[in-house]
Amino acid sequence: MSRKNILFSAENITKSFHGTQALKGVNLEVHEGEVIGLVGENGAGKSTLMKIIIGVQPQTSGEMHLRGQAFQPHDPLEANAQGIGMVYQEQSLITTLSVGQNIFFGHEKDFMRMGVVNWKKMYAEAEKVLSEIGCGDINPRKRVIDLNFATRQMVEIAKVVNVTKEASADGKCLILLDEPTSVLNETEVKRLFQEIRKLTAKGHSVIFVSHRLDEVLEISDRIYVYKDGENAGNMDVADATEAVLYERMVGRETNTEYYHLDKQVIPEKEVVLEAKDLGCRGKFKHVDVRLHKGEILGFCGVVGSGKEEICSVFCGDEKPDFGELFIKGRKVQYSSPYQALNDGIIMIPMERMIEGVVRGLSVEDNIALSNAGKLSKGGMVSRKRVSEQALEWIRKLRIKTSGKEELVIQLSGGNQQKVVFARVLASEADIVILNHPTRGVDVGAKEEIYKLIRDMVAGGKSVILLGDTLDECIGLSNRVLVMRDGLITGELDASVDAKPSQVSIISMMV
Amino acid sequence: MKKLKINKAYFATYFSIAVIICLMLIFTVMEKSFINASNINNLLSDTAPLMIMAAGMTPVILLGSIDLSIGAMCSVSNVLVVSLIMKFKDTIYADWFIMLVTFLTTLLFSVVGGIILGSIHAKLKVPSFIASLAFMSIWNSAALLISSSPISIPKKLWGTIEWYKISIGPLGYPLIIAFLIMIGYYVILTRTPLGRGIYAIGANERAARMSGISVDRIKIAVFAVNGFCAALGAIFLMAKAKSCAPTVGDSFTLMVISAVVLGGTALIGGSGNILNTIMGVFVVSIIKNGMNIVSINVYWQKIVFGLVVLIAIAINTDRSSRSFIVK
Repeated sequence: MSRKNILFSAENITKSFHGTQALKGVNLEVHEGEVIGLVGENGAGKSTLMKIIIGVQPQTSGEMHLRGQAFQPHDPLEANAQGIGMVYQEQSLITTLSVGQNIFFGHEKDFMRMGVVNWKKMYAEAEKVLSEIGCGDINPRKRVIDLNFATRQMVEIAKVVNVTKEASADGKCLILLDEPTSVLNETEVKRLFQEIRKLTAKGHSVIFVSHRLDEVLEISDRIYVYKDGENAGNMDVADATEAVLYERMVGRETNTEYYHLDKQVIPEKEVVLEAKDLGCRGKFKHVDVRLHKGEILGFCGVVGSGKEEICSVFCGDEKPDFGELFIKGRKVQYSSPYQALNDGIIMIPMERMIEGVVRGLSVEDNIALSNAGKLSKGGMVSRKRVSEQALEWIRKLRIKTSGKEELVIQLSGGNQQKVVFARVLASEADIVILNHPTRGVDVGAKEEIYKLIRDMVAGGKSVILLGDTLDECIGLSNRVLVMRDGLITGELDASVDAKPSQVSIISMMV
Repeated sequence: MKKLKINKAYFATYFSIAVIICLMLIFTVMEKSFINASNINNLLSDTAPLMIMAAGMTPVILLGSIDLSIGAMCSVSNVLVVSLIMKFKDTIYADWFIMLVTFLTTLLFSVVGGIILGSIHAKLKVPSFIASLAFMSIWNSAALLISSSPISIPKKLWGTIEWYKISIGPLGYPLIIAFLIMIGYYVILTRTPLGRGIYAIGANERAARMSGISVDRIKIAVFAVNGFCAALGAIFLMAKAKSCAPTVGDSFTLMVISAVVLGGTALIGGSGNILNTIMGVFVVSIIKNGMNIVSINVYWQKIVFGLVVLIAIAINTDRSSRSFIVK
C-alpha cells in the first residue's frame, strides 16, 4: 500500500471529565485517501476523540495537526472551515425537505436572486456536489423521506463534504463517520461502502467508527484499536482478523462459543404462536408462521421487507388487516401491547431510547414498568418488592449501576439494554420478540445478551428474533425465516450442526 | 460559612412557601385588613374549589396533556346543578334528596364529559390542548344555553347547602374535602400501578405503551376524574354563592394551570409532585384574595394572572435538556 501524505494527526491526546480519564494519551494518524477504522468497546474513548477532533469539546492535553499545521478547533464550524466534517450517529437530515435543500441547508443565501432562492441553481449545484462524492445517481429534487437509509447517509456525507471542501486549500477533506451503519441493513451497508470507496478515490479521507468488526475489516485501510482510553493496537487491515481485533478490544480471546451453540436446545412440539395468512395492507401479506415452545425463530430481510411490521402485529402495537393470529391455540386480536402482555407476549423494541426505557425514571422503576400490577397488594404497589426485584435483576444480569435509584439515562447503552431485558424477564411473558436486541451495544455486553437469550429459551420461553446482523440471526436461531417485499421467501433450518450460510440467506432477501 | 444546600426535589416547596410569606407580607403592608381573621377565613374557604380542580388537573399535566376546558366544564356544571334544582324544587321529594340527585347527576355529566374528551385525545390522537380548546367553546356555549343569566337558589333550600359553612377549627368542610382528594390522588400517584403508569406515560409514552401499560385507559380515566373535580368545584361555588352564573368558571382555567405549574409539575409531563400543587394553589389564591382586598381592578387582575403563569412556567421549565423542543 502506498503511503501518501499525512493529512491529520493527533498526538498524546488526553481528556478527563470530573476526575475520570476518558482518554489517557491516544494517537491517530490519517493519510490522504485512506479509510481509518476505529474500534473499541463502549467507553473506550472513540466518541470522545471524535468530539475533540470536530471541536465539540477540547482535549485536556495533547496536540493535533492538520496538513502539517497545528489544529485546534473551538467548534464544529471552525473544524468544517478547515476541512473536517462529521456525520453523527443520529441522522440530522430534515426528512420533509429535498436532498438539495438539505445539502445547502443554512447556505441558501448563496443561491439568492432578488430576495428569493433560485432553486434551479441550487439543484444544479447539489448535483455537482453529489457527483463529486460519486453519487451522481441521487436525484437532488427527491425528498429525503423517500430515500433509503444508505442513500440518506450519503446525502449527509455530501452535506458535510460541501461545507468542508470550500475551505480546505486542496479540496481534500476528512470525514468522521460515527457508527454510520447502525441504522443500515446489509445491502445498504454494501452500498455505503461503495460510496466511501468513491470518496477516497477522490483523495478524501475517512475515519470509520463502528462496533461491527466485519465491517471495519471490509472497509478500512488501517485499523486503530482503543481500549479504556489507550491505544491497544494499530495495524494494516491485511494483518487484522476479527479474532485479533476482538482480543485487543476486550483483552480476551473470542471463541467459537460466541453464540453459545452448546446451549442451543431443540424446541418442543407445542406451538405457542401461529399466524395464518396474516397480512397488513402495503406492508406484508400471506404470512404463515409457527413458533414452538423453546424455539428461537429468526426473521431476516432488508428494511422494508415487512419483518418489523409483523413483529408490531404480534406484540399488539398494530392491527393486522387480514388473516388470523393464534396464541397458545386461542384466536386473538390485539389493539394494544397491553392486551398482548396479558397473554404473555412482549417485545424488546428496536429504538431503546425512544421505545425501550423511560429515561426520566430510575433503574428500579423501569424494571417494574411491565409488572407493577404483580408487585402490588390490595391495589398498592409495594416499594419494597419493587426494590427487591430491581436488586435481584441487577445482580442476575450484572447491570453496572451505582444503585437501583440511579436514573436509567445515566447508564451506558449496554446496561440500559440489560434494564430493558430485566423488565421483560420480570414481566414473566413467555413469548418474547427481540427487535435488534444488540443494537448499539458493545462486544462484551453483546455476548452477555446472547447468553441471556439462551437462558430465556432454556427457561421455557419462546423467542422471535430480528437480529442486528445476519450473523447474529443465524448464530442464535433454531430456524430462520427470510422475507422479501412483504412475503416470506424462505425457511431454513439452523440447528447447531446445520447453520445456513449468509450467502444463501442474502440470495432470498434481495 | 456553611454552604446552603437545597435538595432539588424540595425546591418547588421551599420556593412556594417563600413566595407565600412574601405575598402575605406585601398585602398586609398594603392593607391591614388582609391579615384579619375574617379575611383569612374567607381566603381558606375560597381556596377549596381551586384546590379541587388543581387536584384533577395535576395528573392531566403529569401525563404531558392539558385540559383547557376545565373552567368551561366548571361553568356548565354550575348552571346545570342549579337549573336541575330549580326544576325539581317544587316536587314532592325531600329537599336533601333533590340536592343529592342533582349533585350526582351533575357529577355524572362531568365524568362522561371527561371520558369523551379523554377518548378523543387518547383514541383519535387529537392533541389534548386542541381537543380541550374545542370543548372549552362547547361547554361555554352549553352553559349559556342552559341559562344565560345567573339564577339564585330559593331561600327554602338554603338549609340544604349550609354544610358548606361548617368548619373544624380554621378549616371549612370544603377545604377538608379538597385536602382529602389531594391526599387520595397523592396515594394513587405514588403507590398504585395506575399512578406509576401516569408518570411513565408522561415521561415516555411510546416506551410506556411498549411496556404493556394501558395508555389509553389511563388517559381516559385521568380526564374523567378531572371532569369530576371540575363539577365538584362547581358545586362548591354554587353552595358558596347560593346561585349560579354561566361564566363562573372562566377565570379558573388559567388559575388552575398556574397553580399546578407553580407547584413544580413539568408541562412536558412525567415529573412533579401533587402535594406541591397545594402550595401552588395557595400562592394563586393569596394573589387573588390580596388583589381584591387592596381593590385592584378586575381587568388588572387578569393581566397579573397572565404574568404569573408565564413566570411560573419560565421558572420551572428545564432548558438544560439537549432534546428540549418547544412546540
